[in-house]
Amino acid sequence: MPDRDADVAVGIVANPASGRDIRRLVAQASVFPTTEKADMVQRILAGLAATGVDSALLSVDLGGISAGVLRARNRRRPGADPPWPHVTFLDEDVPTNSAQDTRNAVGRMLDAGARVVICLGGDGTARVAASAILDHPAPTGARRDVPLMALSTGTNNVFPRLREATVAGVAAGLVATGAVDPATATTRARILDVDAGDRRERALVDVGVCAAHFVGSRALWDPTAVSEIYCAFAEPDAVGLSSIAGLICPSPREKPQGVVLRLGSVDSAPVVVRAPIAPGVVLPVGVLDWCVLRSGEARPVTATSGVIAVDGEREIELHGDRAASVRLRDDGSLCVDIAAVMSEAAGEGLLRSHH
Amino acid sequence: MTDTLPTPVPGGLDAQRLREAYRTMRTIRAFEERLHEEFASGDIPGFVHLYAGEEASATGVCMHLDDRDSIASTHRGHGHCIAKGVDVKAMMAEIYGRRTGACQGKGGSMHIADLSKGMLGANGIVGGGPPLICGTALASKQQNTGGVGVAFFGDGASNQGTTLESLNLASVWGLPAIFVAENNGFAEATASAWSVAADNIADRAAGFGIPGVIVDGFDFFAVHEAAGEAIERARGGGGPTLIEVKFTRYYGHFEGDQQSYRLDEVKQARETVDCLKAFRSRVTGTGLLDEAGLESIDGEVFALIDAAVAEAKQAPRPTRSDLETDVYVSY
Repeated sequence: MPDRDADVAVGIVANPASGRDIRRLVAQASVFPTTEKADMVQRILAGLAATGVDSALLSVDLGGISAGVLRARNRRRPGADPPWPHVTFLDEDVPTNSAQDTRNAVGRMLDAGARVVICLGGDGTARVAASAILDHPAPTGARRDVPLMALSTGTNNVFPRLREATVAGVAAGLVATGAVDPATATTRARILDVDAGDRRERALVDVGVCAAHFVGSRALWDPTAVSEIYCAFAEPDAVGLSSIAGLICPSPREKPQGVVLRLGSVDSAPVVVRAPIAPGVVLPVGVLDWCVLRSGEARPVTATSGVIAVDGEREIELHGDRAASVRLRDDGSLCVDIAAVMSEAAGEGLLRSHH
Repeated sequence: MTDTLPTPVPGGLDAQRLREAYRTMRTIRAFEERLHEEFASGDIPGFVHLYAGEEASATGVCMHLDDRDSIASTHRGHGHCIAKGVDVKAMMAEIYGRRTGACQGKGGSMHIADLSKGMLGANGIVGGGPPLICGTALASKQQNTGGVGVAFFGDGASNQGTTLESLNLASVWGLPAIFVAENNGFAEATASAWSVAADNIADRAAGFGIPGVIVDGFDFFAVHEAAGEAIERARGGGGPTLIEVKFTRYYGHFEGDQQSYRLDEVKQARETVDCLKAFRSRVTGTGLLDEAGLESIDGEVFALIDAAVAEAKQAPRPTRSDLETDVYVSY
């Protein structure tokens, strides 16, 4: 159990770029404005304060989220507004407007002793935050197993949960203060390691290999260009590449294995599935075959040219001279299970009092 | 399973098109770098606002355009002119205020226009371009030409009523209009992070019921792909799109700007982010183009700029009698 005598801190990292990519244009993806992200942070703060969290460590961005929270803090009316924990803006690093900002912020949070890291973004942001936690060593060199709570403000949200931020803040607070035991309130995610020579990436949900020369605007929405998909898990009610597997050969999050699919032409593939591969886009996809992706097994990527997408975003340009491989690991991040935390809180009467 | 890369490549970017893209970006960069030097000599009248660093935006958008299409530009308009095909020598002569210029030397840097190329003009009025584009887009729609109008504007103009009214009108009328917000972080000396409420210009699209996307302005491929989708959508009757291109200008607001409002690391942005260097490493990395071919384009571009400056300096200036030409009413 965490030491309740020490200051209880929770980190909140919010990605200003999530939910703004080209899928607003090529599909009808939802818009997540900066103002809504800033409002979500404030709702989380209210939830954290209600459970006794002393301090919130907030990422700083040039997209206006931290600025919005700062403005709100400066306009707070003492006594009239619900309490917040003390808010510290992590402004030591110069923002780069890239994923590095998320990595820097999570590193600072862990250094400052955050007991939970809350991440606002899509699958891409959650991937970066999870990696930052996995890669951040404690001063002793041991791994710091700080739980991650990924909340959805992105596009293809398979990994992060679409939850009301107030409840998420309460749940994070219950875990951070030790009111709920992290062992019963968290689950261990799996992760896909992509090794392409000098480029390494991770994915929380899926890795896709597509025929394109360039990363371009990153998003992936044309299934005819995709030849292979590797899924850490595949749910029938997902959106994105993993939905193709989810509708043919589902593989639950809890199961210690994933699935690999090879895609082909809709005209000749033995199986054709209509899959929601992007918001507003349900298309027939030809599937040649599929098999189980076992944990620990490094699978070579068949294509030697093209682009590898992780969690729906094109990231690595293959140049033919380097072979890529994908490996499923079962030692990913600890993730807060909001439903389990709130269920425990209700069962144990943690938020209840009697007169 | 196939391990070969099917063609065509996205957006039709074959080797020939990639060379064109590189040539356009290199021409803009070389044009602006040269003006940066020449302006200091005092031969150039008026102000110049340089587009260096922002080349991927004009190029990535205008590569999708043809003679049916028109663009409206800003005070920082050289890049848009070059990308839309305005003659580089005529541009240079115009900036030098010579009779051989694109506007007979009467407009200068901030008023270069070439209607024959669908270039409606650089524009000294902040937020002046978007209403013009609503006009050309309406004409294209009425005449069913398939043409689109593209308004380039900055973060400062994103706060102007003209821009917001144009977004509304374009949405209500379903116009084939593309609004490209070039957010370089500062409107003159005012930070967009301070002056643009809600910070992302693209966020405002939702309020007008149109798509709004953000792209990395240092990445030609990202701009090219987003612009291609938006323009194809507009040509097909899908209506307007707002694209916010985020980047940093390499030079000050105007030549001579002391830039006391920018941090040193922002002023040194070219050391870390350069659309030309990134383009070069990616096209050579994939083996689509080779270094020698790109260097030969560089050589041709530098020779063109040398010739443009030399010819501009030799060209005659407008005379007093030219005052009464090219006007609607001659008094």
